[in-house]
Formats: sequence, C-alpha cells, structure tokens
Amino acid sequence: MKTALITGVTGQDGAYLAELLLQKGYEVHGIKRRASLFNTSRIDHLYRDPHENGVRFFLHHGDVTDSSNLTRIIQQTSPDEIYNLAAQSHVAVSFEEPEYTADANALGTLRVLEAMRILGLQDKTRFYQASTSELYGLVQGSPQNEKTPFHPRSPYAVAKMYAYWITVNYREAYGIYACNGILFNHESPVRGENFVTRKITRGLARIKLGLQDCLYLGNLDALRDWGHAKDYVEMQWLMLQQDVAEDYVIATGIQHSVREFVSMAAEQLGLGLRWEGSELEEKGYDSAGRCIVRVDPRYFRPAEVNSLLGDPTKAREQLGWKPRISFEQLVREMVESDLAHAERDELVTRHGYYANKYNE
Amino acid sequence: MQHEPIMTQARTALVTGTTGQDGSYLVELLLAKGYCVVGTSRVPLGMQGLEQAVKWDGMDQETIDRVLADYRPDECYNLAAYASGAGMYDDPVAMGEINGLMVSRILESIRTQSPGTRFMQASSSEVFGIPAESPQDESSIRQPRSPYGAAKLYADTMVKVYRERYGLFACSAILYNHESPRRGLGFVTRKVTRGAAAIKLGLAGELALGNLDAQRDWGYAGDYVEAMWLMLQEKTPDDYVVATGILHTVRELCECAFDHVGLDYRHHVRIDHSAFRPAESIPLVGNAGKAALQMGWQPTVDFKSMIEMMVDHDLAQLRHANMTTGVLQ
Repeated sequence: MKTALITGVTGQDGAYLAELLLQKGYEVHGIKRRASLFNTSRIDHLYRDPHENGVRFFLHHGDVTDSSNLTRIIQQTSPDEIYNLAAQSHVAVSFEEPEYTADANALGTLRVLEAMRILGLQDKTRFYQASTSELYGLVQGSPQNEKTPFHPRSPYAVAKMYAYWITVNYREAYGIYACNGILFNHESPVRGENFVTRKITRGLARIKLGLQDCLYLGNLDALRDWGHAKDYVEMQWLMLQQDVAEDYVIATGIQHSVREFVSMAAEQLGLGLRWEGSELEEKGYDSAGRCIVRVDPRYFRPAEVNSLLGDPTKAREQLGWKPRISFEQLVREMVESDLAHAERDELVTRHGYYANKYNE
Repeated sequence: MQHEPIMTQARTALVTGTTGQDGSYLVELLLAKGYCVVGTSRVPLGMQGLEQAVKWDGMDQETIDRVLADYRPDECYNLAAYASGAGMYDDPVAMGEINGLMVSRILESIRTQSPGTRFMQASSSEVFGIPAESPQDESSIRQPRSPYGAAKLYADTMVKVYRERYGLFACSAILYNHESPRRGLGFVTRKVTRGAAAIKLGLAGELALGNLDAQRDWGYAGDYVEAMWLMLQEKTPDDYVVATGILHTVRELCECAFDHVGLDYRHHVRIDHSAFRPAESIPLVGNAGKAALQMGWQPTVDFKSMIEMMVDHDLAQLRHANMTTGVLQ
C-alpha cells in the first residue's frame, strides 16, 4: 500500500485528491492548520473515527511555514508521494499580505523539499508542486504551454514562480522526482466562496431564492480557462506515476469570459438574465426587470491578468490525460450545489432559525 | 528604538550590506558625492565616514519599517544578501528569507512609510540560470537554476510588481560578476590573484583550480556601483543589465595574473578535478547596451588593469602581513 502526504488537504484540491487516492487504495495523510473555527468541511465525508478498523485517512496539525513541524510529519509518515497544495491561494489578498504569501507559497515549498533532502528521502519520495497559470500573468503568447515565458504580476504569482524554479532546481541538483503542475483555473462546488466562479453561482442561487438582491463583480471581460478540480487532481496523480519527472500544463484549452459564466449560471437557474449598458454601467436584469448583476470597480484586480488560455497538448500526448467534465457540466454542478445550500438557508430562516451568511 | 534625526540638507542614502565589497565602494562613492549615508548591519559597524549605522534585521518587518519611517531616505540601495557559490545549498531557506523575502519587506516599508524613496535592488546574472541566448539583456528569459538565482528572481520580480502596481521608483541592476581587491577570497578571481602573489613571494608552491576553460563576464566593482547610483538619478525607474559584454576564461585570468609577477602560470597551476565543473554550453555574458544608451554608463577599468590592480594589492597585503607577523598569510 502506497502512502501519500497532502499539504493543504482542507482545500478544494486537497479534498478531491484525498478522495481519489483513498479510492486507489493509498494510505493518505493530510496536514491542516489549527484554526479557531472548524476547517475540515470539505473532507468530513472522508474522515472516519480512528477507533474503527482499516482507517487509511489521517490528519496532522501543521503548517508549511514551520520547518521542524514539516520535517517531523514527513519523518513519521515516510510517504511515497508528497502533494504540496498548501498556499495562500488568493491573488488579490496577496497584495495585502505579500510577506505571508511568500512565506507559505515560496519558502513553504522549499521547506518541504529541504525536509525530504534532510531525511534522505530523495530516492524514495516523489514530489508534486501545485504551480499555476498566474505565472503567465501578462501573457507572452497564447495559448500558454510549458515553454511560454513567465510574467507574473502579483505577489501570489511571484511567490509561486519561486516555488516553480526551486522545484526544478531540486530535481536537477538532487535527482528528486519533483514536478510542477501548471494548473489553469479549476473550480467545483467546494471552490472557495471568494473566488469569482463560486461567488457567481452562490450569489445567483441566493438571488433566486430571495436571500440576496444583487451580485457585484469586477472585470466581466476577464477571460479564463476553467476546468473541474476533479479532473485536475487525476492529472496531479498521473504526473507522479511516470518514469521521468516533468512539468505539465493542466488546462482545458477552452476560454470563457466572466460574463459568459454569469450568463450560463443564470440560464441554468432560469433567471432570464439580459445584459444592458457597458463598462462600469453594464448591468444584468432578470425577467422581472430587477437589476441582479452590477460592476463594482473595487473588485478590479490590481495589475489585472486579462486573458489566460492553456495548451494541454503535452499532458494529452504524453500522459493520455483529457478533461472529462465540460464547462456546462461544471457550471451546472456548482449551481445545483449552491442552490441546495440556498434552499437550506431559506428553509431554516423561514422557520426562525439562524443561517450563516458568510459575508466577506 | 527611536533613531536620531539627521539635521542636514544633504541627500540621504540608506545602504544595506555595507560590509561587503559593493557596499564599501558604494558608500565611498556616495560620501564623495556629499550624501549623508546610513548603513545597516546585523552587527555593529566600524566603517569610517558613515553618518549613522543602524541595526537591521532583514527578517523583521517592524525594524525595517522603523528605519524607513525615521530616516525617509532619498535613496535606498539593497546590497545585503547571502552570496552565491558553494555554500548556497547549506541553508537555502535562510537564503530565500534574506535574498528574497527581505526585498519584499523593504518594498512594503517604502510603500507604507516613505513612498518617495528611490530603491535599487542588486540583482544578479544568476537569474538567467541556464541562459536561452547569449549575450543576455533585460528582456532575456529567466530560468534560474539555484536557490540563489531563484531568490534573486523573486526579488527583482517583486520590484517590478511594486513599480507597476504602486508607482514606486524601484529598479533592479542585473549585475554580472564584478571583482576588485576587496573581493572575497573564495571567489575565483581573488583566489588566482592571491595565489599568484603568494607564489611570487615564495609563500605557496602551487594553485589548484577547477575548469580553466570556464568563461565569465568580469567587470570592476567600482564601475558597477556607479551604474547603481546612475539608475536612481534617471527620470523613470527601470531595470538594467550591468556587464562588460566581454568573456574571459579562467586560463586568461591566470595568464594575466602570473604574467604580472613575471611567472608562467603553466608551471604553477594544477587542475583539481574535484572542483571541476563543465563549461556552460551557452555562456553567461551581458549586453549592457541599454545602460550605455540611457545612462551613458561605460566600464572604465578593463580586465587586465583590474587583475593587475588585484595582484598588486595582494602582493602588498602579503608583504605587509609577512613583515608584521613573520607568519605567512
């Protein structure tokens, strides 16, 4: 039985990856940060009471900003594979917390690699680094593939670029099986609520049920290559099963605008959305003529990354990987999940109970 | 700790890494130009001429904030860093902290405490790693291949982000190898000039070196700090490659140094195969055309003069040490 260690196991990708690896028969260890609120909702369905027999999923308290903690957990679990998914993952927040972002995203990666080296695991343990399309930033060519030069534009992306190169460096200098997956945007019903896709599906579902009046968004023209996280974690696993460690772009190769995402979600909810006006005055109205989508410049990203489109040719040709879930299916899954949440909230509120609003 | 305010009309410059080779040349240059120079150090500084020496902890945002808030310098030069070379795999996390994250902290302090301060980051040709083309200029692809290069690339990309996003006057100097009599003894140029001088004085028998065919673009540190200063006098902030554009081999370096003391290097240099590193297929050599065109910067000390200056310095230093102590080296 193989053993895997996942940093960032409480995140979207961590949850899907843990599920995939458990299905494949792995023993899975995850590192989660101590927080005053429970932060395991995405993996609660995988958790089993440790008193049961045959438990293969274990959680450890830890943090990629803490070298000795990482070294101890890696020593105790002696994993065959490490998936480094832990990060401060929000681009806009990285402008407010550049130091913490670099500590977690850049040096955190190095700390894991150093722990592997110090423990003499360079021949045993394989390493996956969650890299990102944000490295391309102000894109130097389209679509972007493994050879496209990087031009990061945010503290988040610059820190991830450091992690990318340090991973390459440890592969070359120590012969560690270490790879970067350059992942384009990937979403799911458990995507963080403050990422644009989830903000849209959650907001429109709540508007549909009268829990919210209007959805405020930033740049509606921003173009992204959106895939489903479930497909992408499959690729993360595949990358560690090869003869030779290499870096891969993981993307769908299809681009949509934020506006298209909104339109598709609204259509699936039967809101009858129509757009009027342009730029800051662009507004979305429902069939009853209520304004339900507006532009708010506060959500414009500093140093905006306007267009990202990945070229997954290498992943397809070398690993036979193809995304299975279409854009339409992705949006539908997210809308249905958020509608169910909204229905629950509406129901309990109507009966006089309190429902969390989770406003930022 | 509250810092004493500086009562002066002179321009103020904050320099980190003043105890290093570049720091010493830059402080001299700034003092000669009439600046009030504030130097930072992890340990108490004894350098002559500094108006102020402040304690500095590159890991601590608060002490950096305090220094920037108290002095509000006109210019800030960040030269503090762990050096590249053999030791850089010993503590790569600390190298990432100082060569990388500290630069973020300084930028953040400038943004919040003293946004008028002009900032110069000492970057390195190591950001090119295995170069994709030769010579390299400001637009060449970065693919660093060491913890040092990755940290320096992190730093100079953050400089770009702060320039774009916040309009700071922040620049990086992408410096190729630069040498002087004050170069550390671990670097190959100084190893050779020191070796030639020691052999000449009968203090050593031979000099062990790695690959004599390795090539470098070596300039003079005194010229390079001039480029750093010029960058902060421009109208707009930008990044510049600072290099000579000329490659020399380690063999030429040996020839030049031993010739100067009237010896034939072939009789004194031994190849140490444990130190042998294969030559890069595409050499690291810089194109400083932009620095020449925009700022009128040119190197003033050529390779031969620089190596001879270093040999003369090592001869004098070894003679002096021998005279005062009677003990060699």
